[in-house]
Amino acid sequence: MPKLIIDDISVAVPEGTKVIEAAEQVGIHIPRFCYHPALGSVGACRVCAVKFLQGPFKGVQMSCMIEAADGMVVSTTDPEAVDFRRHVIEWLMINHPHDCPVCDEGGHCLLQDMTVSGGHGMRRYQGKKRTYLDQDLGPLVQHEMNRCIQCYRCSRFYQEYAGYRDLGVMGIASRVYYGRFGPGTLKSPFSGNLIDICPTGVYTDRPSRYKGRRWDYERTPSVCIHCCLGCRITVNVRYREVVRIEARYSPTVNGHFICDRGRYGFFYASSDRRPRKARSGGAETRPKNARDEAAHRLEEITARHGSGSVAVVGGSRSTLETLAAERRICRQLGWQGPSLFTGTEESAAARRAAGHLTTDLAVSLEALKNADLILVAGADPINEAPMAALAIRQAARNGAHIEVIDPRPVTLPLEYVHRPAGTDKISEILRGLGKPSTEDASGDIQDLAARLDQSRRPVVVCGAGKIASERTVEQAARLARNLRRAGKKAGLFFVMTGANTFAACRMAGDPADLETLLLMIEDGKVRALVVVEADPMSEYPDLARLVDALAKLDLMVVLDCIDTETARAAHVFFPTQTFFETGGTLINNEARIQQARPAFAGGTPISQTGGGSHPPRVFRDDIPGTEALSAGQLLMDIVSALSGGISRSVEEFDGVAPEFSGFDPVEATGERGTWAKLPLRTAAGPDSPQMGGETPIKKGELLLVESVYGTEALSRSSPWLQELESEPALTLHPEDASRWGLQHGDRCELSTEAGALTVPVHTSRSTAPGTLVLPRHRRLRWQVFQHFRSGLDTVRIRKTGGEGA
Amino acid sequence: MIPEPTLSHLKDRIAAADHPRELVVDVMFALQEHYGYLSDEAVETTGALLGMSPLQVEELATFYTFLYREPVGRYVIHLCDSVICWLDGAESLRDHLCRKLKIEMGRTTPDGLFTLLPVCCIGYCDRSPAMLVNRKVYGPLTPEKVDELLEKLKQESE
Amino acid sequence: MSSQETKKYPSVLLQNRHPDRIATLDEYRRSGGYEGLTALLGAGNPKQAQQVLLDANLLGRGGAAFPAGKKMMTIAENAPFPRYVVCNADEMEPGTFKDRVLIFADPHQLIEGIVIAGYAARASHGIIFIRPEYEQAARIMEREIEVARSEGLVGRNILQSGYDMEIVVHRSGGRYICGEATAQINALMGVRPNPKQPPPYPTTKGLWQRPTVVQNVETLCCMPHILRNGAQWFGSLALTENGAGTKVFCVSGRVERPGCYELPMGVPLKEIVEVHAGGIKNGGRFKACLPGGASTAFVPARLYDIPMDYESLKQEGFRLGTAAVMVFDHSDCLVDATVNLLDFFARESCGWCTPCRDGLPYIRDLMKRVEAGRGSTETIEKIETMCRHMWSAYCAFAPGAVSPVQGLMAEFKDEVMAHVEQGGCPFK
Ligand SMILES: Cc1cc2nc3c(=O)[nH]c(=O)nc-3n(C[C@H](O)[C@H](O)[C@H](O)COP(=O)(O)O)c2cc1C
Ligand code: SF4
Ligand code: FES
Repeated sequence: MPKLIIDDISVAVPEGTKVIEAAEQVGIHIPRFCYHPALGSVGACRVCAVKFLQGPFKGVQMSCMIEAADGMVVSTTDPEAVDFRRHVIEWLMINHPHDCPVCDEGGHCLLQDMTVSGGHGMRRYQGKKRTYLDQDLGPLVQHEMNRCIQCYRCSRFYQEYAGYRDLGVMGIASRVYYGRFGPGTLKSPFSGNLIDICPTGVYTDRPSRYKGRRWDYERTPSVCIHCCLGCRITVNVRYREVVRIEARYSPTVNGHFICDRGRYGFFYASSDRRPRKARSGGAETRPKNARDEAAHRLEEITARHGSGSVAVVGGSRSTLETLAAERRICRQLGWQGPSLFTGTEESAAARRAAGHLTTDLAVSLEALKNADLILVAGADPINEAPMAALAIRQAARNGAHIEVIDPRPVTLPLEYVHRPAGTDKISEILRGLGKPSTEDASGDIQDLAARLDQSRRPVVVCGAGKIASERTVEQAARLARNLRRAGKKAGLFFVMTGANTFAACRMAGDPADLETLLLMIEDGKVRALVVVEADPMSEYPDLARLVDALAKLDLMVVLDCIDTETARAAHVFFPTQTFFETGGTLINNEARIQQARPAFAGGTPISQTGGGSHPPRVFRDDIPGTEALSAGQLLMDIVSALSGGISRSVEEFDGVAPEFSGFDPVEATGERGTWAKLPLRTAAGPDSPQMGGETPIKKGELLLVESVYGTEALSRSSPWLQELESEPALTLHPEDASRWGLQHGDRCELSTEAGALTVPVHTSRSTAPGTLVLPRHRRLRWQVFQHFRSGLDTVRIRKTGGEGA
Repeated sequence: MIPEPTLSHLKDRIAAADHPRELVVDVMFALQEHYGYLSDEAVETTGALLGMSPLQVEELATFYTFLYREPVGRYVIHLCDSVICWLDGAESLRDHLCRKLKIEMGRTTPDGLFTLLPVCCIGYCDRSPAMLVNRKVYGPLTPEKVDELLEKLKQESE
Repeated sequence: MSSQETKKYPSVLLQNRHPDRIATLDEYRRSGGYEGLTALLGAGNPKQAQQVLLDANLLGRGGAAFPAGKKMMTIAENAPFPRYVVCNADEMEPGTFKDRVLIFADPHQLIEGIVIAGYAARASHGIIFIRPEYEQAARIMEREIEVARSEGLVGRNILQSGYDMEIVVHRSGGRYICGEATAQINALMGVRPNPKQPPPYPTTKGLWQRPTVVQNVETLCCMPHILRNGAQWFGSLALTENGAGTKVFCVSGRVERPGCYELPMGVPLKEIVEVHAGGIKNGGRFKACLPGGASTAFVPARLYDIPMDYESLKQEGFRLGTAAVMVFDHSDCLVDATVNLLDFFARESCGWCTPCRDGLPYIRDLMKRVEAGRGSTETIEKIETMCRHMWSAYCAFAPGAVSPVQGLMAEFKDEVMAHVEQGGCPFK
C-alpha cells in the first residue's frame, strides 16, 4: 500500500492506484475529461495536471497517468498546475460553439463545470472557430460535433470497451472528428452510453431532446426491469412523463453502463395508448364498480364451483410485493396458482436454477468481468440480458477464454469459441465437463476440459427457462460446484427470463405454469382467471389453443399497465401503475434484492392532457389518469371485497417469502442492493429422480427465442427501439436450409396443426444443425407452436418466396 | 470493380502476412491507384480484405496526407510550404501555380488534369523551392521551370 | 571566411557517395562493408555488440540522442520473441534530408546496420519505415535487400551463422508524427499513429507487443563502422571530448551550397556554414540558424563558433536534433519564419492531446497577430506562457513545436518588439 500526501492529506492506497483515484479517496476531485474509471487513463486531455513536489516524479504531470508511489507529495492547488489547467480549458473552448442555452447537456455538463471551476471565464481567443457537419446516428443519439473536446471517450467506449466498430475517430490535428463512416443508425445495443460518458453535449439523448433541463426533472434512483440483471438506473420524469433513463453507477451490478433496451424501453409508461380506465365488458367504468363486479362474480363462481375454480396468472415483470400478494391470496383463498411461468419446462428449469444458486456460487455482473474462463451454455447474452455480454467482453479483454455452447447463432462483441450444439447436447457436454477427471471427457471437449482444468476463476453462464432445460441447469450447477470443489473460484451465473424471475421461482404456486393451468381450464375445473401483469395471448406459444380455453372461462379479470390482447379480452379490466409509479422490490438473476422508490406520483402526462397548450389551462381537483393502483394493492382491494377475503398490506410478505423478507430497506435501495437468504450450499445429490430425461430430438427442433429488441413485453412498444429492430427471420444452418430447398433471403411458411406463419429465411453456419431459430417477435404472429421448443416432426416448412419460388 | 489480378495479388499478400492489418496502408494505396483516389468503395473493399470495418479504415485514411478521400486530378502537385521552401519563394510559386492553373489551392482543374495541394517539408530542402508531382520531386523551381513542366505534363497526357 | 582553407575530414558514412547513383554491393564491400557483420556473427555474442555500441557513445541520430547501446540493453534477457528492429526512415523533420542521402549513397550500409542491430537485439524482423515522398528510396531498398539476400546477407542463416533476419520496407501514408517512435509502431500495426506514452517502452512491449528497437537510419549506418573499427576509433572521429563519430549535417536556407555534409561531431557551426556550405548566399550576413530541424531553437550569431555536438549545444540550452542546419540571414524576418514553422506544427499535430491540438493553433494565431503588427506586450506574454505549458503535452512533438518560438523570444525579443512597436513587420 503506497502512502502519499495529496494537498497535505496523507493517504494509503492499493498498489496500482492512479494519483487521480487516490485523490478521490480523500475527497479531492481532480478535473478530468479523458479519464473515466471504466475506460482507464490515456493522458489525452491534460486537464488532470497536478504538481508533483517530491517523490519519483517532479513538476506538472498528469495525475491520471501516474501510479501512486511511496513518498509522493502532490499539490493540486500549486499555481503552475492551476494555470496549466486553466489553459487546457481555454484551449478546449477555442472552437466550442458556446451554445449552452440550447444544449441538452447544459446543467450537467462536465465542460461547463470545468470551464467555470477552472477559471476560464473570459474568451480571449480571437481566431476563427472550426466547425463540423453532424451525422444522423439514428433515433437514440443526437450528434453535435461542434461541442466536441476530443477526449476520445466515445471511441474508446464504443470500440474498445463495447467491441463495436461503426463509430470512431477520424481526421487529424484540430480536425479530429468522431462519428461513423457515413450517417446511419449506431449498431451497438450499448450506444446510449455515449450520452452518459460524453463530458459535453456531442452525444445527447434524442428522445428527450428539448424536453427539459436536468434540474427540471424529477430524478429518482431505480432499477431496470427489462431483463433479469436489474441494472441500476436513474429515472427522469417531467410533467408526469418519464422522459429519460440514465445509467446509474453500481459497483457490483452494472458498473457505469446500461444497454439501450433498458435506456429506451420506458415508452410504455407514458404512451398515449396506456390504459388509464377500468373496463367492464369492454366499456369504461368507475373503478369501484369494476371492483364490485369482479368481487361479485368471483364470489359467485367460487360459490358454485369451489374456491379451486379460480386461478391467478402472473409473471416476472411484477414486483415482489405483487407476487407475494398473489401467493398469499391463492394460499389463503384456496385458489390455483399463482402460475407465474408460461411453460412447464420453463418453470422447471427456472425453479431448478433458483434452487441451485447458492451464496458461494452466485456471481455478480461486475465479478463476471474477473473470470478467466467463461462458459456460456444455453444462453444468448446480447438478446436475453445484454449487459451480461458487455461484462463477458471485459473478461475477454482481460484475457479470459470464452466459449459458447448454444444451438442459436449467438453473436458476442468479442472473440469466442462457439459450439453450435442442439439443446439436448448442451447438458450432455456439461455433464462430460463436470466429471471429476477430464480424461473422461469425450474427444471434442477434451480441449475445453483442459482449459477448465487450467482456469482459476471459471464462471458458467447458463440460461434457465425457455431454451436451456432443467437438465442443462442441473448440469451447469453441478459443473460449477465441481470446479469449486477442485479448488477454483468458480461461479454460476444464470440468465433468467424476466426481471423478477428469481422471485417468481419462489412465489409460484400450483400450478406454477400456464401450460398446466390450461389443462385445468380445458377440463372445466378452473372457471375464472385473474391475470396480473401478464399477457398470455402474446406469450403463450399456441394461441389457438389458448383462445379456445379462455373462451370456456366464466370470468377473466386482467390487471395491467399496458394495453395487451389479453387485457382487451378481459371481462373486467383494471389499469395498474407502472414500476416507475409503484417502486418496489425486484430480485435479480443472482438473488440480489433491489428496491426502488416510486419515481413519480403517476397520472397522464401533461403533454397528453394539456391539449398542446402548456402549462395546461384546464383546472381540476385531481390528477388525470391516476385511477391506477399498484397491481398488488388492487388485488388486495378486490379480494378484500370478497367475503372471507383478506386484508393485509402489500408491503408485508414475510409470511409468504421468508428468504426475501426482513432485509434492510436502506441497503436494498442502495448502490449494491442486498441479499436474499439463500441456502449457503445445496447438497449436490444425484440427478433428482423426478427430472425427466431430455426430450430426444429426432428430426431437430424449432426454438422460439428472444431478441434484443421486439420480444420483451414492455420495451417492445418503444417507438425508438422499434426503429432499431431488424426484420425477424427464421435462422437455420445452410445445409438444413437446402434440405427444404431454402436459401438465405427466401421466404418460407412454417405450419403446424395450430396455424401457420410466413417469415424470411436466414442461414448461418453457427446455428446447430437440426435447429431452427425463430424470435418471438412482436412483428410475427408466431404463436402457432405447442412449446417454446418444438420437435420438427410437428412443423412443416415450405418455401413461399425468393429465388426460383 | 477492382481488376482480378490486383485483387488476388493483394489477397496473396494478406494471406502471407503475419498480421494482415500491417498492410492497410499498402492496400489503400493500391486501391487508390486503381480508382484515382480512395473512393468509398475502396474504403469498403480495404475493410473487407483486412477484416476491418469501413469506419476503421476511414480512421486511418483521414489521418494520412497521401491518401485522397476525394477525387483528384491526374497529376497531384504537392507544393512544399515549409520553412526552407518558404524562404526561397514558395508563396510566389504558389501564386504562380494558382494563376497558371486558374484554381485555388486544394482544387482540381476542370479538365481533371491537375490538383494543387500544399504539403509540409518533403525532405528536399537542398533543392528548394521544391514540389512533388505524383510523388516525383522537382526543384529548385522557378516560375519558368514550373511552366515548362506543366506544359510537358499536359502534352504527355494527350 | 572563404579564405579559411577547407579542412579534410575522414568520410565514413558517405565515403561511397556518387553524384547520381547508388554504391553497389561490391563497392560497399571493397570499402570494408559487411566485415563488421561477419566478425560479429563469427564471435556469436549479441551482448558484446551491445557493449561496443554503448562504449562507442553512439547517440541516436533521429533527434533524441539516446544512446543506442543503452536502448538495446533495456531488452530483458528473457523477453519474448519475435523481436523487431524498426529502421526509422520517416525523416519528416523540416530541414532534414540526410536519411535520403544515406540511402541513395550506400543502401548496403543501412542493410548491414539493420542486421547488426537485429543480431544485437536478437531480433528476427527488420522493418524500414519510410515516408511516401521517398518512394524511390523505398524501391532502392527493396531491390538491394534482394541483392543482399542472394548473397546470404539477409534472410535465413545469414553468412552461415544460423542467424535469420528478414527485412521488409513499410511505406507510410505520410505524417510527421509517424516519425515519433511509438506512433510509428502504431502506424506499423495499422492503427491510428498517435504516440503512446511509456511505460511500457517499445523495447519491452513494442510492435505486436514484442520487444522492438526503433533506430534512425543514420544511427544504424554508423553501426557497421563501429563494429569493424571499434568504439575507440568512433570516439576519435569527433573533434570534441564529448562527441563521438561523424555527423551528417543537412545545410539549407541562405547558403551558397545547400546539401549534406558529413563532418566530425563537434565541428564549429561557422565552419559548416562558411566553409562547407559555401557561406551565406548573395553576400548576406548570418543571423541565426535552427541547428537541428524545425523543433529546435534559433541559434543566434553570437554562438557562431559553437562546436556542433549534442553536449556543447545542450550546455548553451540548445539541441542538435537531427543536425539539420537551417540558415537565416540579416534580411529574414524570424517572426515570419516562426509563423511558418507554427503552421507546419499545427497542421501536423496528431490531434491526441489538448495543448498541441488546440494550443498550437492558438499560439499560431497570436504569433500571426504579432507578425502583422497587431500584437501587444500582452500578446507576447500569452505566447510565452502558452509555450511554457506546451512542455506538459503528451509527447515530444509540442515541446519541439514551441522550441523555435521560445528561442525567438529568448534571443530575438527586440525583433519581436519591433513588430509591436512599429505596428508591422520591419522587414517588409
Ligand atoms: C514528433 C517527433 C518526430 C520524430 N520524427 C523522427 C523521424 O522522422 N525520424 C527519426 O529517425 N526519428 C524521429 N523522431 C525520434 C524518434 O522518436 C526516435 O527517438 C528515433 O527514431 C530513435 O532512433 P535513434 O535513437 O536512432 O535516433 C521523432 C520524434 C518526435 C517526437
Ligand atoms: S503533443 Fe501533439 S503530436 Fe504529441 S500526442 Fe499531443 S497532439 Fe499528438
Ligand atoms: S484526465 Fe488525465 S489527461 Fe485527461
